[in-house]
Amino acid sequence: MMQIQNIRQFGTFIGLLVLCLLFWILSPYFFTVSNLLNIAQQTSIIAIISVGMTFVIITAGIDLSIGSVLAFSGVVMASALHAGVPIPLSILVGFSVGYVSGTINGLLISYGKLPPFIATLGMMSIARGSALWYTNGRPISGFSDSFRFLATGDILFIPTSVWIMAIVYIIAHFVLTKTKLGRYTYAIGGNEKAAILSGINVNRYKNIIYGVSGLLGGLGAVILTARLNSAQPIAGVMYELDAIAATVIGGTSLMGGEGTIYGTLIGALIIGVLRNGLNLLGVPSFIQQIVIGAVIIGAILLDTQLKKQKE
Amino acid sequence: MKKFLIILLSSILLPVFWGCNREQYSGEPTVALVVKTLNNPFFMEMQRGAEDAAKELELNLVIQAAEREVDVEQQMQIIENLIQRKVDVIAVTPSGSRELIPVISRANQANIPVIIVDTRLDEKLLKSDGAQISTFIGSDNFEGGRLAGIYIGERLNGSGKVAILEGIPGHETGDSRRLGFLKGLEESPDIQIVTSQTANWERSLGYNVFENILQSYSDVQAVFAANDLMALGALEALSSNREAENEVIVVGFDAHEEAIEAIRNGAMAATIAQHPYEMGRMAVENASRILKGEEVPDEIPVQIELITKASLPDL
Repeated sequence: MMQIQNIRQFGTFIGLLVLCLLFWILSPYFFTVSNLLNIAQQTSIIAIISVGMTFVIITAGIDLSIGSVLAFSGVVMASALHAGVPIPLSILVGFSVGYVSGTINGLLISYGKLPPFIATLGMMSIARGSALWYTNGRPISGFSDSFRFLATGDILFIPTSVWIMAIVYIIAHFVLTKTKLGRYTYAIGGNEKAAILSGINVNRYKNIIYGVSGLLGGLGAVILTARLNSAQPIAGVMYELDAIAATVIGGTSLMGGEGTIYGTLIGALIIGVLRNGLNLLGVPSFIQQIVIGAVIIGAILLDTQLKKQKE
Repeated sequence: MKKFLIILLSSILLPVFWGCNREQYSGEPTVALVVKTLNNPFFMEMQRGAEDAAKELELNLVIQAAEREVDVEQQMQIIENLIQRKVDVIAVTPSGSRELIPVISRANQANIPVIIVDTRLDEKLLKSDGAQISTFIGSDNFEGGRLAGIYIGERLNGSGKVAILEGIPGHETGDSRRLGFLKGLEESPDIQIVTSQTANWERSLGYNVFENILQSYSDVQAVFAANDLMALGALEALSSNREAENEVIVVGFDAHEEAIEAIRNGAMAATIAQHPYEMGRMAVENASRILKGEEVPDEIPVQIELITKASLPDL
């Protein structure tokens, strides 16, 4: 089992390298330190929300609400900042909005027995509507330099947002591979009935997992707001699809029960590298969309073929 | 199988990239035009104008747009990538009046001149962030809205009930048009604005929102939509719904091809013509002047006018 996983990750990793090689050959601007940092920074938001998505998808669930939850926690945090609430506290407020929205998803799915698709589809609309209603549809802009440092600053030559992404990935990898929560995440997705029978409090863990997904939406909102110097109620539209794509490209099965955190990182980087490289080459926008779609399908095709071969 | 797929994928992608890539090695300077979206005829016209000027002046031109008009973060990423690519001038129609200012500062640091087209940036934030733009090219949306306001005031003889369909709230373009419209109506104080709602610049939402407006205000006499797509949506709502007691005067903005057609056949009353082709052309021309080291004015106005059936040339 573990070996199959490794080979599959290896496949996507090779895919990423091939892509990088291709752009390196084609563009003199691709393989420079500043562009690589640029890609890492541009990928950080999608990469962070993809972590929550990975946990959710391993349980055989889905979180369609994450883009809207990001927008809602962003505008609430921004209004706190504008009201003069200290930065750490404002961020905490944003996190809470994300965590509570995610936990509501969890409760609807665990105790309400709603399919995750339906529960989070509803939340997608509720959170978006709440963000628009809360702000009257207008963006909240203009923050202090110390807040904007969270996205635009550098620590040891590396952008702050990239550090945040790295820390999230290290923690998430540890949680998924070394803790009870991680083992139960796989168990729930692999066979939920068996998980219940073996005494796992499945409902409780689902609430936690969806809550954390929402919380990471809040973290994404911090970086996005700092980056744009503005919190928009219409931010993050369709981010959920990018996050799902990154997760699935990274080898997590939509059927649940398998997936890795580093796979998701590779998936997010593939999307980030593609967008960046296509821009550098000046590929027309419409063709970019076709290529991105083709690569997503190609990556999954590669994955399923490999899996078949192994079996 | 794996190798086969990789080879297959690369063999499809390589020629595509190669074809698009050639221009950057030729000697001419490169101008980038980043528009809000290419799903809107307005920006397609702008693209055409820019392409014609680039051909004339023998400049390389790269045109990019985000997948979705609301996605200002992606527009920011595109500009960051263009800075990495070291293009010589960046012209942009901002999807957000404030959100793009940080990335404009970064273009400044890389010594790449920035031209703003069509949508103004927030002046105050621009100043406080110390960001610099070379020039603004665009029509006065406020003036366009004012022309629409005066026209509706005259058509209703100074009194009546009017609805407004707004663009995405917080967008400078839509806000200016709406404020200009209100200013234009000041000359007719007996006109009452019954409702002012957003339809996010979209045709389908224009239909839905105006249909709802007709349900609650069946006596509405005129509607001003901040762009033609929403006006056309409202027009469709009117033709499928006869709740309205009287003829409704529909006024849009942008002189969209279909809107001109609707004005010609009398379904729509008026629209405001901007000249996106001119904007695109002037963006590239002024980029060329900047590259030659010539001075360009801080603001370059593009003509704006009211179009009614009477002002249209006969076919």
